[in-house]
Amino acid sequence: MRELSGQNSRESPERLVSRLVAQLSHQVLWDSLLCFSPPLLVFIYMAGYLYHGAWVGPLAALLVTLVAIGIGILVVTLRYRPLVPSVAKASRLVDEHAGAKDRFLTLATIDPSRWPAGLVARLRAETASFLDRIELRRDFPYQVKNSFYASLIGSVLALLLFHLLLPVAHSTLTSLPALQRLREVAEKMAVRPRLLEIARSLQTLAAKLEDPRVAHEERQALIEETQKKVGVQQRKEEQKDDRDLLGQAASTLKNLEQQSGAGQDQQKNNEKGGGGMQSNLPQEGQGKGKPSPGGGEQKGEMSAQLSKDMQQGKTAHGDPKEQSGEKNSQKQGDGKSDQPDPNRPDPNKPGMEKGKDSAGKTQGGGDDKGGRGKTSEEIPQGTPPADRFHQAGEQGREGIKGARYVTVQLPEEVAAETKGEKGGNKDAKGNRVGSKVPVSNVPLPAHVPDAPTETQHMPLEYRGIIR
Amino acid sequence: MEPENFQELFHRLESEVSKVIVGHDDVIRKVLIAFFAGGHVLLEGVPGLGKTLLVKSLSQVLGMSFKRIQFTPDLMPSDIVGTQVLAESDGRREFQFKKGPIFAHVVLADEINRATPKTQSAVLEAMEEKQVTVFGESYALESPFMVLATQNPIELEGTYPLPEAQLDRFFFKLLVTPPSPVDLKEILQRTTGAESAGVSRLLSDDDSRLIGGMKQLLRQVLIAPPIEDYVVRLIYATQPSSSNGSMAESPVKQYLRFGSSPRGAQSVILGAKGNALAEGRVHVSYEDVEKVVYPALRHRIILNFQAEAENVNTDQILGALVKQVPRT
Repeated sequence: MRELSGQNSRESPERLVSRLVAQLSHQVLWDSLLCFSPPLLVFIYMAGYLYHGAWVGPLAALLVTLVAIGIGILVVTLRYRPLVPSVAKASRLVDEHAGAKDRFLTLATIDPSRWPAGLVARLRAETASFLDRIELRRDFPYQVKNSFYASLIGSVLALLLFHLLLPVAHSTLTSLPALQRLREVAEKMAVRPRLLEIARSLQTLAAKLEDPRVAHEERQALIEETQKKVGVQQRKEEQKDDRDLLGQAASTLKNLEQQSGAGQDQQKNNEKGGGGMQSNLPQEGQGKGKPSPGGGEQKGEMSAQLSKDMQQGKTAHGDPKEQSGEKNSQKQGDGKSDQPDPNRPDPNKPGMEKGKDSAGKTQGGGDDKGGRGKTSEEIPQGTPPADRFHQAGEQGREGIKGARYVTVQLPEEVAAETKGEKGGNKDAKGNRVGSKVPVSNVPLPAHVPDAPTETQHMPLEYRGIIR
Repeated sequence: MEPENFQELFHRLESEVSKVIVGHDDVIRKVLIAFFAGGHVLLEGVPGLGKTLLVKSLSQVLGMSFKRIQFTPDLMPSDIVGTQVLAESDGRREFQFKKGPIFAHVVLADEINRATPKTQSAVLEAMEEKQVTVFGESYALESPFMVLATQNPIELEGTYPLPEAQLDRFFFKLLVTPPSPVDLKEILQRTTGAESAGVSRLLSDDDSRLIGGMKQLLRQVLIAPPIEDYVVRLIYATQPSSSNGSMAESPVKQYLRFGSSPRGAQSVILGAKGNALAEGRVHVSYEDVEKVVYPALRHRIILNFQAEAENVNTDQILGALVKQVPRT
């Protein structure tokens, strides 16, 4: 320290101020670098992560990284420049530390040629006597600023958010059609030599799946074959990136397999003439029997009402005049529906379809014999609920534990079937194609019997015309 | 003249005047600074605080001629500057200029606000020009020349407050406040005893060159450009019309009608230089500026009606400005 003091005393005050300016400039540069490094590093990490996860190509990743570094340098420069301390500011800092009453400031900023040399020399001598009080490293140490901590915390949060949102983005992307996904995965694999063979298999599979001439069984077989290949390769692969890609391919193939299986079921159902939508979701109106008959499993009620109204060509709220009758029949229907009927026909059997239709017609056509319309007629009924639904942990038909699915029948298919079965339906009650109306167990809003007539707001575009 | 000599002489003058003026060290210092800066001083205070004694003592210590003019409503300009009188010499009658009391090194214009504006303007013209013109003939005033005017803040009936333009010609406006109990006791001991204190003359008639040297040295004091910038910012901040956003909520816009003139900035810089020399420094510091801002600007910023109604004074506004205006 003594040596440093001696060095200081030999140094001119102006030189000390210049050294301080340089030191503070370096500190400001460090501050700027520290402030902007965490976000930059996080950005580069994200780019790298996306590249390794095969989300982006190598060129895009490199380009993004380079752009990020360029922007980082620009931002650091822009932040650094205005913060570089001036000579006046540095000399004021020295004055404050040394208690020199603006001597350093005056000496560092005046033009000596404009002032009397004697006074300038005297001021320099006075100022030099304060040099011993200043040790730049001791008095102006570098301290990490709060901006760095804020930047660090922000960057860590951004990183966490990135990892949290990535699965969401992944699921959004994978919601694309399975074939498209399959192609994308194949493209990504194609750039990796070890996965080239699998990529080709996937591309072939995608092409075959698109071909309508390929039979369903053949498709299924192809998918299974490719799945096996992928599985084998997956076991072989050691690299994480490749394993990820293979995992994506496997999941896509699984989806394709499920879709294919579902399509087959749908086809079978259509062949059977089973209407509309089928689901393995628990249907409360049918299922778990409740002791109180009028207890009102709302979902079952609404399902029954919807079916009836639709058969009558009315809205869900329907004609107020008929509401009381409907209510009555609903109550009774509810009571009935709560009790599982072992004699009910199996909706999956084609022969039972007619019975279901006739039941629907009985209710819809106003069969007043005790009003005991069967509410279960809208929903495919068959074996008792306990038998129809899988137990917890039990594997479903498609090998998915606890799978819940809805089979949707397209309107064209309904129309085609309507034409084919029109004669048979007419025979029953002269009614229309009640059984072809898509049936769902999707819950409807609760029915309010004495609700006021629904008013509809006039569309804005008509207001001017009517006025 | 060396700075050490200046400081030594300055302190001797201060301590000599302080022998008779108790409790007004700051006023004495500011009067001396104004003297060496070549300015005039307006002293404001209630009667009996020693304003006149201060001026008399100062002139005695400096060894300079001293005249006192008691301003009254019927005082005429010629009573101050002098007039032509018909005089007979060598059998011939001719007009001779008879110098008024303004022809002195130190002039005390006592209760200057009691004279009519016509008379006031005669004094104020002399202050600025350092010469008077009578019947088309100009007469130079003494050098050094200093006017110390006093005015009473009370008993304003029948007075003629000095116009802003004339107030601007005073280098400093100093407030002479009542003494503290300790100071009052000291005054009583000094003035009611058997021996009354007096001041001795420190400068002889030949020391006018010395005073000139001191005045010159004062102007040579170093001032850093950032400090000059600070003074400029302070003066600019007193302007109600200044478009400085940071000053939008300052009392300037609320209470001031007019800001300081450039003369105010000159007074601040010269006053700061004088203060620096008096403290033994050859450079001006921010503290010097802040010490002289009040006497240099308090009579140069004009309050509006709202300030008068709310009893806000100029020192409060200047205090707020000094806090608001950044040094760098």
